[in-house]
Amino acid sequence: MAVTEPGKPPHEGEEEFPFHSGEIRPSSSPDAIEFVDVHKSFGRNHVLRGLNMALPEDQISMILGPSGTGKSVCIKHIVGLLYPDEGDVIVHGHSIPSLRDADLFDLRKKFGVLFQDGALFGSMNLYDNVAFPLRQHTEKGEEEIAEIVNLRLSEVGLSAANEKMPNELSGGMRKRAGFARALVLEPDIVLFDEPDSGLDPVRTALLCELIKEVHAENGGCYVVITHDIMSARRVAEHISVLWKGRIVESGPAEELFASENPFVRQFLSGESAGPLGME
Amino acid sequence: MVRSVAERAYLPTRNLLEEIGDMMILTGRTISSALRPPYPYGGEFVSQFLFALRLCWFPLLISTVCICYAAPGLQAANFLTIFGALDRLGGFFVLGAVREIGPSVTAIVVAGVAGTAITADLGARKVREELDALQVLGVDPVKNLVVPRFLALMVVTGLFDIYALLFGIFGGIIAELVNSQPLGPFWNTLFANASTTDLWGSVLKTTIYGAIIAIVCCYKGMSASGGAEGVGRAVNEAVVLAFTAIFSFDYVFTQTLLATHPQILVIK
Repeated sequence: MAVTEPGKPPHEGEEEFPFHSGEIRPSSSPDAIEFVDVHKSFGRNHVLRGLNMALPEDQISMILGPSGTGKSVCIKHIVGLLYPDEGDVIVHGHSIPSLRDADLFDLRKKFGVLFQDGALFGSMNLYDNVAFPLRQHTEKGEEEIAEIVNLRLSEVGLSAANEKMPNELSGGMRKRAGFARALVLEPDIVLFDEPDSGLDPVRTALLCELIKEVHAENGGCYVVITHDIMSARRVAEHISVLWKGRIVESGPAEELFASENPFVRQFLSGESAGPLGME
Repeated sequence: MVRSVAERAYLPTRNLLEEIGDMMILTGRTISSALRPPYPYGGEFVSQFLFALRLCWFPLLISTVCICYAAPGLQAANFLTIFGALDRLGGFFVLGAVREIGPSVTAIVVAGVAGTAITADLGARKVREELDALQVLGVDPVKNLVVPRFLALMVVTGLFDIYALLFGIFGGIIAELVNSQPLGPFWNTLFANASTTDLWGSVLKTTIYGAIIAIVCCYKGMSASGGAEGVGRAVNEAVVLAFTAIFSFDYVFTQTLLATHPQILVIK
């Protein structure tokens, strides 16, 4: 991914993007995921408008931004659930929009995804939900599967609930179960779509700790989408700030937290005064 | 003014054409997924088949008996009585019940009962992101969800047609008995006019109805959006579209069958 020279906005003259320096600060790791000038519209709603973003290998990256800026749409592009109208999404050197269905299904085995509400299968109990990827993609026996599933469920504090159906669980429990399922195959790339929404502050902190622990253990590219700054401070190694379908600024977390960009500064400090209003 | 009207007409027409195109693509993908190995959908096929059977058998029984007793039964009997030709009711049942009413009532019941259940189920899974999760876990939803429903509805609708014909003719028997007629002439004219073409034509048409219902209902479910309200809207649209597609196909099929088998035009 090309590094934009600081202070030279790539979209000069476009009044809609006054704070989008588009600055991509260099990271110490190579890129695992790249968005190259991605545009995506749903009817008249232009969600991504020339998004250029790189997410580094072996780091926990966070995509931060106000609601409705296209963060979840980014995740769906990465796993090939949505395709860009223009531009390219590259994962480990593969152009996702150009892959054939069979190759895409194959590549998806590299991914673990935690969806916003957990996306558990309603017809299976908790244990079977977490065991599903292992049964689908590995040759492991039921004993070995049970060992892995019980370990993952105990990590997220749900070992007592493994017989329960998803509709018997609270929103937070469903999210934790989705987390266990996302990690059960120890994937190379793990995507978390707002893992903190609907969780109490203590469980959010514990979940963040768990993300860090599992990442330290397994490595890989972890991408967390959130607008919770506390979570960002706890786990982020790399941050991309997204607004109006484009990157405002992107780079190592400590550099972003020290950014001079008024939008980035306001967003990362959570202040009400600044360029971001209610509109 | 003209431009505004044109714009209002253009967008819904374009959306409808896009949906029809998407459904054609889904049909092609479903057929190719069904034929190409592996075949992981056996269990789901049996479960969907039994599900449709359990939901539809009773409403279909009541519907076919009642409509065949009322429409070609009582109404046609009233008309035939004028000519003293009530014995012709059996022949009329071949035209009415076997060729049209049996298949149509079967399609209406299957679409209204099993089809809507499919749309609601897939729609709920879609809005809960279960379908996205399946895809991300490397499971093809067309092969694992659409194919078994497509095959199950085809088989169940074809079999239900025979069931509907039997109970439809039972409605005709009631009509004869209510008019104090012996059943001999009814059976005589029924079998004189019925042919194997009528039977396979009826079953084939209904089997294709099953395919249409499955594709429309799966498509609408899998493209639902906007939470619970969106699922309700998808179910409503699925029923409307399925009925429209079924009756349009009925015209094409009937016209083709009559043109290619002119002997069934002759009333004996």
